[in-house]
Amino acid sequence: MRFIGLRLARGLLTLWFAVTVTFFLVRLLPGDPVLAVADPNMTEELRQKLLADFGLDRPLGVQYLDYLGQLLHGNLGMSFRQSVPVTTVLMERLPWTLILTISAMVVTIVLGIPLGVLAATRAKGWVDRVIQLTGVTAQSLFVPSVGVFLMYLLGVWLGWFPIGGAVDLDATGFGATLSMLHHLVLPCLSLVLIQLGGYVLTMRTTLIDALGEDYVSLAKAKGVRPGTVVWKHALRNALLPTTTIAGLQLGTLVGGAVLTETIYAYPGIGRAIYEAVGQLDFPVLQGAFVLLAAAVVVANLITDVAYGILDPRVRT
Amino acid sequence: MTVADLTPRQRTWSAFRRNPLGMVSGAVLLLLALVAVCAPLIAPFPEGYGADTLQPPSGAHWFGTDDIGQDVFAQVVWGTRVSMAVGVSASVLAIVIGLLIGVSAAYFRRLDTPLGVLVDLSLSLPVLPLMILVAALAGPSVRTLAVVIALFSWPEVARVVRSQALAIVPMPFVSAAKVVGGSSLWIVRKHLLPGVVPVVGVSVVLTTSRAVLAEAGLSFLGLGDPNSWSWGTILHKAQQSGSLASSWWTTLFPSVAILLLVLSTTLLSVAYNDARNHRSDT
Repeated sequence: MRFIGLRLARGLLTLWFAVTVTFFLVRLLPGDPVLAVADPNMTEELRQKLLADFGLDRPLGVQYLDYLGQLLHGNLGMSFRQSVPVTTVLMERLPWTLILTISAMVVTIVLGIPLGVLAATRAKGWVDRVIQLTGVTAQSLFVPSVGVFLMYLLGVWLGWFPIGGAVDLDATGFGATLSMLHHLVLPCLSLVLIQLGGYVLTMRTTLIDALGEDYVSLAKAKGVRPGTVVWKHALRNALLPTTTIAGLQLGTLVGGAVLTETIYAYPGIGRAIYEAVGQLDFPVLQGAFVLLAAAVVVANLITDVAYGILDPRVRT
Repeated sequence: MTVADLTPRQRTWSAFRRNPLGMVSGAVLLLLALVAVCAPLIAPFPEGYGADTLQPPSGAHWFGTDDIGQDVFAQVVWGTRVSMAVGVSASVLAIVIGLLIGVSAAYFRRLDTPLGVLVDLSLSLPVLPLMILVAALAGPSVRTLAVVIALFSWPEVARVVRSQALAIVPMPFVSAAKVVGGSSLWIVRKHLLPGVVPVVGVSVVLTTSRAVLAEAGLSFLGLGDPNSWSWGTILHKAQQSGSLASSWWTTLFPSVAILLLVLSTTLLSVAYNDARNHRSDT
């Protein structure tokens, strides 16, 4: 229990840090939020009214406390451009980003484990070399390039998958679900391709370490079948450090999702960020970051607690 | 001369030279740097409107033309400048900050906890959305991009440097330096930094490749310098005009350029690491 409490406290600290850093960045950087709401040839009177409307005329400390208070009520401020609460804008987008990132993560793990095992059990062989080199290459890929390549190959040229959007609007019932999955394939695959390398390489290293342990020699000496030794004995121990990588890669995953959603016009938070950049809608950008940071903190918390339950040694 | 007579540096270099992957990567990087420096001699700066729009690659336009008739080859050549300049300057800045913070955390024990917490917190946040926010606020320019990327890349360097420096601080020669009355600054400069620098070598390369990707990502989202070309900007224009899905050449060539730069830096660091690890020679 104490372990979960500590992790929870750390998550809250991270979140507070994210919120505070963004608040002060937004207020102190040259990009004057007032200039962003206001037209340059607007009268001074109107400018002051706008400032007051957005609460930008009060002392910085007061604005900060107010921002924190509003945040606790789930209020991220008003969008400069759309005159609707940022929370409303982002909450309709959040489910799509969650669908995309979670499905990408699941597919990555499902593909990554057998590939890691394959490389580790054939360490130094040519299969291993190919997997390693591919893994390093995959980590050097630029997400939009991968997205465009898949879009062109599987979407435009072969015509197997739709190249934009998240669902056909006229589909209903089961058809809508099918259409959703159909639209999900390309963006999800793009994310999987950039994530997979890291997982496979980590999986490979930890599994090679695990295969050198005494209990593996013992199991082999006892005459346990090689397949059972790898999959039932060594893999279980190798999976634990890989869980940590999953946590560390969350940031990359979120960044990748922003770029992928932009390419495929996928209506998630990332696409909202792209649109907000074009319109200089700072509250949306700020809110999107806070929301994504919160998602990463929650996901990290889940990984940490799961790790603690699986491996009591790390409960410190 | 036998292997034992060589200095560690010479041994690293001779091991490195025997790795074809490392040598090829080095050559590619040199070539890209040459293109970046000589861009004005290779192609005219792409601007204005051309008559041939969305032409596929041909003898006249090696990489084809975009939706307003500009030559994609010229864009990629000029993009090499900005992409490399931002990548290198951002990583140099990140390394300097990371070195300072990492070494201070390891040497001045009282600073370790607060700096460690700062690094941990920064590493657990999704960086790209944060960079987007800051770059949008600061206004797009080459300098903004370099500073913003450096600002959010140093924690990784600091972590690597700190763990390396922590192994050096308890060594007898550091205590000896303290006993003879050396100032902290002198000890850090003379004893800590030389021990940390080889690790930083790998870190520099990796930070550069990450910085190149970050620059491409930000430019792709429309946060690039509007007055210059970078590889991400070319992709951004293709995305905006919709030629992304119809004209493969507008995206393929800048993508290949990004891949070449990032992959060769990554492979170079792998080769350097292998060469430095003398145990694997036997």
